[in-house]
Amino acid sequence: MSRVGVFVCHCGTNISATVDVAKVAEEMKNQPGVVYTEDYKFMCSSPGQGKLKEIIDEHKLDSVVIAACSPHMHEKTFRNAAEAAGLNSFKVEMANIREQCSWVHPDKAEGTVKSLDLTKKMIEKVRLNEELDKIVMPVTKKALVIGGGIAGIQAALDIAAAGTEVIIVEKDVTLGGHMIQLSETFPTLDCSQCIMTPKMVEASLNPNITIYTYAEVEALDGYVGNFRARIRRKAKSVVEEDCTGCGICQEKCPKKVDNPFEMGHGKSKAIAVPFPQAVPNVPVIDRDSCIYYKTGKCRICEKVCGPKCIDFDQQDEIVNVDIGAIVVATGYDTMPLDRFGEYGYGKYKDVIDGLTFERMASAAGFTEGEMKRPSDGKTPETVVFIQCVGSRDESKGVSYCSKICCMYSAKQTMLYKHKVHHGKAHVFYMDIRAGGKNYEEFVRRAIEEDDANYIRGRVSRVYEKGDKLIVKGADTLSGRPVTIEADMVVLATAMTARKGADKLAQTLGISYDRYNFFSESHPKLRPVETNTAGIFLAGACQAPKDVPETVAQASAAASKVLGLLSQETLKREPITAEVNEANCIACFDCLNICPYGAITSKGITDRDGNIIKEVAEVNPGVCQGCGLCNAACRSKTIELRGFKDNQIYAEINSLAV
Amino acid sequence: MKIPYYPGCTLNTNAKDLQECAEFSAEALGFSMVEMPDWNCCGASLPLTANSAMGYAGPTNVLIGAKEEGQKEGLEDKLVTLCAVCYNVLKRTNYAFNKDAAKLDTINSLLESDYKGDTNVVHFLEVLRDDIGFDKVKESVSKELKGLKVAPYYGCFLLRPHEEVGLDDPYAPTIFEGLLKSLGCEVVDFSHKGECCGSYSAMSNAENAAECSFSVIDAAAAAGADVIATTCPLCQYNLDSKQAMMKKNHGDMKEMPIIYFTQLLSMALGKDIGKISFKSNSINPLPLLKEKGLV
Amino acid sequence: MSEEKVENKEVWTPRIIAYVCNWCTYGGADLAGTSRKTYDASVRVIKLPCTGRIDPLFLLKAFERGADSILVSGCHPGDCHYNTGNYHSRRRWTAFRDLLEFSGIDMRRIHFSWISAAEAVKWVDVVNDVSEKTKELGPYTEFQRINEKIKEYDGIFAEQG
Repeated sequence: MSRVGVFVCHCGTNISATVDVAKVAEEMKNQPGVVYTEDYKFMCSSPGQGKLKEIIDEHKLDSVVIAACSPHMHEKTFRNAAEAAGLNSFKVEMANIREQCSWVHPDKAEGTVKSLDLTKKMIEKVRLNEELDKIVMPVTKKALVIGGGIAGIQAALDIAAAGTEVIIVEKDVTLGGHMIQLSETFPTLDCSQCIMTPKMVEASLNPNITIYTYAEVEALDGYVGNFRARIRRKAKSVVEEDCTGCGICQEKCPKKVDNPFEMGHGKSKAIAVPFPQAVPNVPVIDRDSCIYYKTGKCRICEKVCGPKCIDFDQQDEIVNVDIGAIVVATGYDTMPLDRFGEYGYGKYKDVIDGLTFERMASAAGFTEGEMKRPSDGKTPETVVFIQCVGSRDESKGVSYCSKICCMYSAKQTMLYKHKVHHGKAHVFYMDIRAGGKNYEEFVRRAIEEDDANYIRGRVSRVYEKGDKLIVKGADTLSGRPVTIEADMVVLATAMTARKGADKLAQTLGISYDRYNFFSESHPKLRPVETNTAGIFLAGACQAPKDVPETVAQASAAASKVLGLLSQETLKREPITAEVNEANCIACFDCLNICPYGAITSKGITDRDGNIIKEVAEVNPGVCQGCGLCNAACRSKTIELRGFKDNQIYAEINSLAV
Repeated sequence: MKIPYYPGCTLNTNAKDLQECAEFSAEALGFSMVEMPDWNCCGASLPLTANSAMGYAGPTNVLIGAKEEGQKEGLEDKLVTLCAVCYNVLKRTNYAFNKDAAKLDTINSLLESDYKGDTNVVHFLEVLRDDIGFDKVKESVSKELKGLKVAPYYGCFLLRPHEEVGLDDPYAPTIFEGLLKSLGCEVVDFSHKGECCGSYSAMSNAENAAECSFSVIDAAAAAGADVIATTCPLCQYNLDSKQAMMKKNHGDMKEMPIIYFTQLLSMALGKDIGKISFKSNSINPLPLLKEKGLV
Repeated sequence: MSEEKVENKEVWTPRIIAYVCNWCTYGGADLAGTSRKTYDASVRVIKLPCTGRIDPLFLLKAFERGADSILVSGCHPGDCHYNTGNYHSRRRWTAFRDLLEFSGIDMRRIHFSWISAAEAVKWVDVVNDVSEKTKELGPYTEFQRINEKIKEYDGIFAEQG
């Protein structure tokens, strides 16, 4: 017979006002196995916990039920207290008679009846609870950062600064991400390249940082502290170690291609680095456009290469790395513009998106920083900026605010004005969202010092008339239609999740929202953690973010990684599945249903080492305790500790009328 | 193929040219439009956005009538329209019913009917594209309209609101262009093919309406068009008859004929030019057609 | 007043068992409490890690033990703490409901919903709705009669030792 103690908390009057706590304590005395009951003012207070310890000891309790608040609130508190008194912490259960009873049922009679039920239910369950020990796991002191933009680089630098090894996997040819594409950054107008390039170089020189560019994470196994990632390093057709970055191959390559780094405006070559400051400064052959791969002839790059590092037969390389923690920093894409026919993007060359404007304004960009519109290279005298293209637009785009567009449009009007002094910039906006340090001042500066004309309203149409773009819109403040003859139109396109983000999330086993942004564990209190232990988020892969916020989150993620990797071993809740090997019929439904790959097949051998039967085996380090296997098991062989069938049935039975 | 046809208020009167040429073309292409009996106004004068039952009662009656007539006479299970406004009102009525069953219930109880919101409303252009096929139209052309630069003008009703009407992409439509190409015309792409002709303010502010129409003609002329083809009686009227007024404000404006698409179609399908009525055209297209060697 | 209460007690109140997941719906129910929203007191929550942990037999067992209605609620699709647990739950439910219906269970007494940890109002609405519908249907005596039979046979077995 078990020896259960029941403690009913008043929570001041939070519970006792609508639940007859004394009655609950009194009636629970009659429950089988209960040897002690009491109602008490504040169970979570220091004296309350002291009382708990005292009674456990005095009455030799082997199980405890606290009827009080939600277990999400104080389960940990009471389990720790019980453990201090020598009771196994998993022999403590809570009956939630506050959040799910006293606070929601004002009728005291009803509340008392329900509290009786809920307490009884947990008594029945706790009697079947087993003593469980926390699981101890080793930790691999190495981190993986996926994405080599500003978020990934910052996280890697911070982790490396603590002396911890870190690997950056970047899918592009170079580090830098979107930030290296930008011309200047708000709210200071400092040159993006000038502040980004040193960070890229620093990362490449740091002995604790290994960089795999042109690479992607293909698979992930393991669990917090003990992950193994499979990384595909795509064939660059250039031996990275031997390349000196002299650039002669790019110079001599006869095949010109559009340069995606310049948003399709500048030209690049089939063997190239996207821009001169690329890190690593190693060119890659684009096999889709290289003449040799198409016709079998050319090989000019091979001939001109001094260190002879062109390797046309190079294969993709698979690298397996063991790591303890992961930072996901894969950034964002911009929304495709083909759905916005009204703005004429794609139809009219002088309707461009914000990133193209950044390249145009950049001194290293396709116009070398001069304002030259794409159609005829003329200096645009009038430029219209349209905000919220796709953002806050439930019918055609996304319902969220992309957050950075108000600021970068203001910045772009300034960059434009600083280059074309007699020019005029107009901005169509819905609201100006300039919350951030020095942000509002920055927008005011665009309006007051750089003469940007802000029009509150939407644009209905952009069409070409002669060599002008006619922009028709509404000024909702004056209530009048507006027509502007512009030379160039810049669209502030919505930020979206990376294409394929959902697939990566599935590979990593993290969750993502309906826009495919990765989900943080808690929107306020756990903003850099994912729901998968050991995987953290940084930057715009989680939600639209500007550079300062991204850097802050990257450093936060790095500190979480370091906190995790500073431990020699990790302890975790033993709520995991276990297999009764005698009963297992080896159907392996559990193996297929497990979302974590925690279940494998194990051979049972006889004395001579011959395998006589196969059974399921759970890796307790990987198991997250969802219990899917338990429900799927047809022979009732695999069970989830803490939520076994008999425990659930005990709860159901206790509610019998 | 026989399709129930709903003319609406203008097709038997002001826009008779549009209708006659459509009927001729239909016969030439092997189908006929059967005017439904006892029809009433589509309700265009009562805006659907006001969300009053009256706005829906008219079109619903038409939709029910077409269904019944079709079943009784063994016609195609659809309803064809020529007027862009009727097309718009009827389609949007169905859309509203399919989105909001309560609305349908209200109207049904008002009309003592059992309408399900399922009368398939199509525009004459859709019949040509989907049932006949532009290739077949091309084969049936006896006189190619070579050298005639035509600006296809949709106006607003055929394309908007896109999710409710759904005829074509409102910013990059192709159906009208497809038809004109099959007639041998040179199709002129221009910026204002879906802009409003101004008919909304034709009564209250004629000046403004004329200005809207002018911007359409101006854009078509800038793009090199000889003539604007339209599907909508209202557009035809505004673009065509207001040109005198436009000239007052835009002295250098060149007159441009505004022609119904069915007039071009029937011409290409061999209708004797002498038998094509141009009564509704205040800018006579004949001199232009002569100049192009089409008459 | 007190007399009324005694009378009320004799009035039948429905018994609803809710199987909810720890992460979303349990949190949503907690939030309803924190926000002091009130709702019908006839629901009894059984907390599981995930709706995917629910064995269909749990539902039958609950009816057998006198439940008049059952509510199953977990995270919204795509929001599962265990990534795919609620999808399994939904699939299992799709497959299982035909069998239940075939075997004569009153399907109006089983309710399925997605309630996130932020949807306190939805939790309140769903519980009230289930309770309202259960009150309309009355006690699930058809199944409870089976229960009496079971008890009867249990008694016979007990006598036989």
